[in-house]
Amino acid sequence: MKKELALFMLVITVMGVVASGCLSGQESTPTSTASGETSTPEKTTNVVIYGYGSEMITLDPSTEFSNSIVVLANVYECLVKYTPNGLEPWLATSWESNENGTVWTFHLRKGVKFHTGNTMTAEDVKWSIERTLRMGLGPAFIWDPIDKMEVVDDYTIKFYLKYPANLPLTASSAYGAYIMDSKYLSTIGDDNAIADWLNQGQDAGTGPYIMVKDKYDPKTEIVLKKFDDYWSGWSGDQFDIAVIKIVPDASLREQMVTSGEIQITRDLPLDDLPKLQENPSVKVDQTASYQELYAFFNTKKEPLNNKLVRQALSYAVPYKDIVDYVLHGYGEVAKGPIPKGMLGHFEDMDTYTYDIDKAKQLLAQAGYPDGGFKLVLTYTQGDQAEAKVAEIIKAEWKKLGVDVEIRPMNWEQQWALAKSDPSKAQDILMMYWWPTYPTPYDFLFNMFHCEPEVNFNLCYYCNDEFDKAIDEAATLEGINQDKAAQLYRKAEEILMEDAPAIFFYNPDDVYVYHKSITGFKDNPGYPQVVFFYDLHKV
Amino acid sequence: MRFREYIVYRLVLAVFVIIGVVTVVFFVSRVIPSDPAALWVGAHPTPEAIEKAREQLHLNDPVVKQFAYYLWSLLHGDLGVSIRTHNPVATDLKSAFTATFELILAAEFIAIVIAIPLGVYSAVKKDSWVDNFGRVFAISGVSLPAFWFGIVLQLIFFKHLGILPLAGRVDTVVMLEHPLHVITGFYLLDSLLTGNIPVFVDALKHLILPALTLAMYPIGLITRQVRSMMIEVLNENYIRTAWAYGLPSRKIYFKYALKNAIAPALITVGLSFAYTLVGAFLVELIFNWPGLGRYAAYAILSMDYPAVLGVTIITATAYVFINLIVDLIQVKLDPRIRL
Repeated sequence: MKKELALFMLVITVMGVVASGCLSGQESTPTSTASGETSTPEKTTNVVIYGYGSEMITLDPSTEFSNSIVVLANVYECLVKYTPNGLEPWLATSWESNENGTVWTFHLRKGVKFHTGNTMTAEDVKWSIERTLRMGLGPAFIWDPIDKMEVVDDYTIKFYLKYPANLPLTASSAYGAYIMDSKYLSTIGDDNAIADWLNQGQDAGTGPYIMVKDKYDPKTEIVLKKFDDYWSGWSGDQFDIAVIKIVPDASLREQMVTSGEIQITRDLPLDDLPKLQENPSVKVDQTASYQELYAFFNTKKEPLNNKLVRQALSYAVPYKDIVDYVLHGYGEVAKGPIPKGMLGHFEDMDTYTYDIDKAKQLLAQAGYPDGGFKLVLTYTQGDQAEAKVAEIIKAEWKKLGVDVEIRPMNWEQQWALAKSDPSKAQDILMMYWWPTYPTPYDFLFNMFHCEPEVNFNLCYYCNDEFDKAIDEAATLEGINQDKAAQLYRKAEEILMEDAPAIFFYNPDDVYVYHKSITGFKDNPGYPQVVFFYDLHKV
Repeated sequence: MRFREYIVYRLVLAVFVIIGVVTVVFFVSRVIPSDPAALWVGAHPTPEAIEKAREQLHLNDPVVKQFAYYLWSLLHGDLGVSIRTHNPVATDLKSAFTATFELILAAEFIAIVIAIPLGVYSAVKKDSWVDNFGRVFAISGVSLPAFWFGIVLQLIFFKHLGILPLAGRVDTVVMLEHPLHVITGFYLLDSLLTGNIPVFVDALKHLILPALTLAMYPIGLITRQVRSMMIEVLNENYIRTAWAYGLPSRKIYFKYALKNAIAPALITVGLSFAYTLVGAFLVELIFNWPGLGRYAAYAILSMDYPAVLGVTIITATAYVFINLIVDLIQVKLDPRIRL
């Protein structure tokens, strides 16, 4: 026993020595000059911290197709920047196409430096897109229209397309369209070696911020520091250091932003937002997102293969109540399949509204006067909003005599079931869609175009007239937007008539930021991204 | 059986236990219907990307063959690649494990420092206010959920008093200005070794609340154990003799009585390590501690099976070893127990 006691005393003594070391060390150690200045950290370092809910996945701009664009969009840049008011120059200053949209010429910005010190040229653009295509993962499909690329001179690049496409919009994509330093990266090795190099927390971009490698920890925080040679320059009240801090717990993020421990965050509990709007130390920013919640009917299975039944059920959804109850008003009832603010969205679209009598009438017409059938509905486990919506429609459809079995599933499981045999799969599947880049074609093609093998057309819908309309619209999008919009409208009207899915709502993107920063602007084209360059100290 | 032979025997058994756990978890995680390829490629993938991923992850092979692959790489110390983060599981686990272990050690330290004296005094002053307080404290420590304590502590020390940080392992700004050179992965130790005092102080501040929260359960357990053993021992004849000789009471309680009462309590301390490992999973979520718990929660929710397996192996190994160490200590302390 004596030994244990002695050991314990030893520990205590060591702690004591350490503690006294702390006190005396501050004057004598060489680090003291640095630590002396840091008693007031706010003054020496100006840092902005974005509290974010999930971890980073990959930092390879060619394959990243998830939430790491939160980092990438600050470190890299695309040729074109998407904004809700139209496309704006980014690394390209201007672009034009031939008459039918099959040859596009981009003129690049001069004097743009990579973080490596090299100057950006057309070769880098060609190399970056080629690498993305070669790796063929994640967002590589966005460049599918390209037949070949031609470097005209250092600051001009020409794209020859296999079919007409809106290439500037593609070039603004939040995924797969970032320009990398080809001279530097090609010395590292093959594509996988480059990916490894990037995933160590390094970058080869032109953006306003640089990754700080020795601080890179994708599970805890990602530290970015300002790039002094950034082509657009700096003003005094911007931030030298930007941090993306991973805080999965929403209520924790809420406490952190109200106390000023972090400066900006998102995805807070919707119930708390009214309270935060009253709080003088934070501001709540609310912008329409390009996300939409859908429920797909299984059009290959009784009784939902009957159009009248689908229409009846579409009428029996209390759209307005759902937005009020589920989103607490932070969103809008969907007007068709395309979210507000995008091409192909029509405010005057004749969509379904809540009308239970009409629903009963249609159901009787379909041969189910008292309902009497059961439907299996799947949604993604853990999504509170989807769960609430499912409960509401279950209650409503009960009035029609339709029984709904709600089945929460892990997304991968849910998707695997949906992709199996449609005649044995679920009856209704709930899912969100958001675009890879903001074109209505991304929505309509993925979810409603005929598919030889099921991928995301989870209503198993197939209508040649619809396919023809959207395929043609996509080719016109870059050269004749009015004509494209007309065709999209035609396609969406077909969807309204056939009712392969229910279009619920577009949730708002809600950011909450501390009063100590200003300049934040949500850009729905780059979901979840905070452009740190826009932020200023108050 | 000799001491050394016994250890070898236990270690061999441990290997079988761990292999058994790995086998069960591997097959259970593969039987659950899910598509790892879909998770690997992320949102909105194309069918080609999925097919490519299936091949890369050997998903088209029979499950038994996949298991063989897994065991083979495990033998080489390779825990596979996380399907969700695309990082090697071993790298992910290394930093998570040290974070969790630092927290657990701190919690156990607090538990011992509080619980043993509290247990002794509760026994000595039986049914006094100290004992009653100790009883309430111990019972609430065991029965009230850890997250409740965590939130209450956050409310008091962060929101109202403002003296301790809300969450996290170390402050971002402090770390930026005083970069920590990581040697062992234990921030307190590393900052001391490198003489980085600001980080040490900050890391210590961040450690207090989660460690205290996590310590509540072992405090309750150890206090009660020490108390009941002490009461038993204090009724022994040799203690009465000591009183008769007029020895100072401090010496009687802490030297003669505690010596005999502490053996079972030390076992409890050892076993409570295992409890705190589980408890840490919850506490880490409340305090945003970048440890195993958070990693495991993510891995399970997204069915990232290499990560789930990695966590399982680490936790199972820790359990087995803690049990072994506890058994050995017991033998050393109590001569009546034979191997």
